[in-house]
Amino acid sequence: MNESDIVKIFSYIVTSARGCMDEPKIYGPLRLLNTMSKLFYILKDDGEISNKEIEKIVEKIDEKKFSCKTDEEEFIIMIDEVIDKLVELVQSSK
Amino acid sequence: MLSGIINVILKRRSIRNFKQEEVPKEVLLKLVEAARWAPSGSNIQPWYFIIVNNKDILEQIDSFSPGLLGRPPSIVVFCSDKRMAFEKGGKIGKEVLYLMDIAMAAENLMLQATKERMGTCAVRSFNVMAVKKILELPEHISPELIVSIGYAVKEVKSPVKRTLEEISFFNKWGGEVK
Repeated sequence: MNESDIVKIFSYIVTSARGCMDEPKIYGPLRLLNTMSKLFYILKDDGEISNKEIEKIVEKIDEKKFSCKTDEEEFIIMIDEVIDKLVELVQSSK
Repeated sequence: MLSGIINVILKRRSIRNFKQEEVPKEVLLKLVEAARWAPSGSNIQPWYFIIVNNKDILEQIDSFSPGLLGRPPSIVVFCSDKRMAFEKGGKIGKEVLYLMDIAMAAENLMLQATKERMGTCAVRSFNVMAVKKILELPEHISPELIVSIGYAVKEVKSPVKRTLEEISFFNKWGGEVK
């Protein structure tokens, strides 16, 4: 991850923070999940991450994240499922 | 059997995942030509259309546009000229009409893009100050809406829409349409 990537991610996060002051509340979680996805693909492109389980999680997020606009319940279920997977990953990484 | 303009209207979807395939310049200009012919209050046309297909500028705008998703190969930034809107349209021109004009122009562009088998998405989640600086816009020109343009990775299913009976009435509030 080079300095240019870091500046872009910082810009995205700060712009999202500013946007969240005026935008629908549900956009907050969406921006956080998007940040995770952006970060993952930068690291993947750099060869700094290759865990297939993490990639599956990111793919699941990218596939379902827009349900926040149409089906909030589905969106929440997706986040809960991702957390469940992340717990397994955290435990297995010890 | 659906045909004509309604077919195009029903096919349009908000696309948030694009193929990394450039949109030819002449196609982009054709889309902007459709936008140019949108209705405009008092025919003021207080708009400017900035077509961005330069990768470096796209990346810069992307960094300050959380709503711009799926790495579109091109965007059109719909800008307003509020000075012109006020000078020719007065208070209502400056406060209301210019936004309606922009919205109608954007829909024209998106429908033309749909007809050209391309995907679009109207985006307002961007930082106005940042985009203005990146595009070197004059003080009185403001970016109001970004429309991403490209070829969709996959088809998007139809969203749920409120029914005609629910949202429309004949002659007065509550007048049944059936």
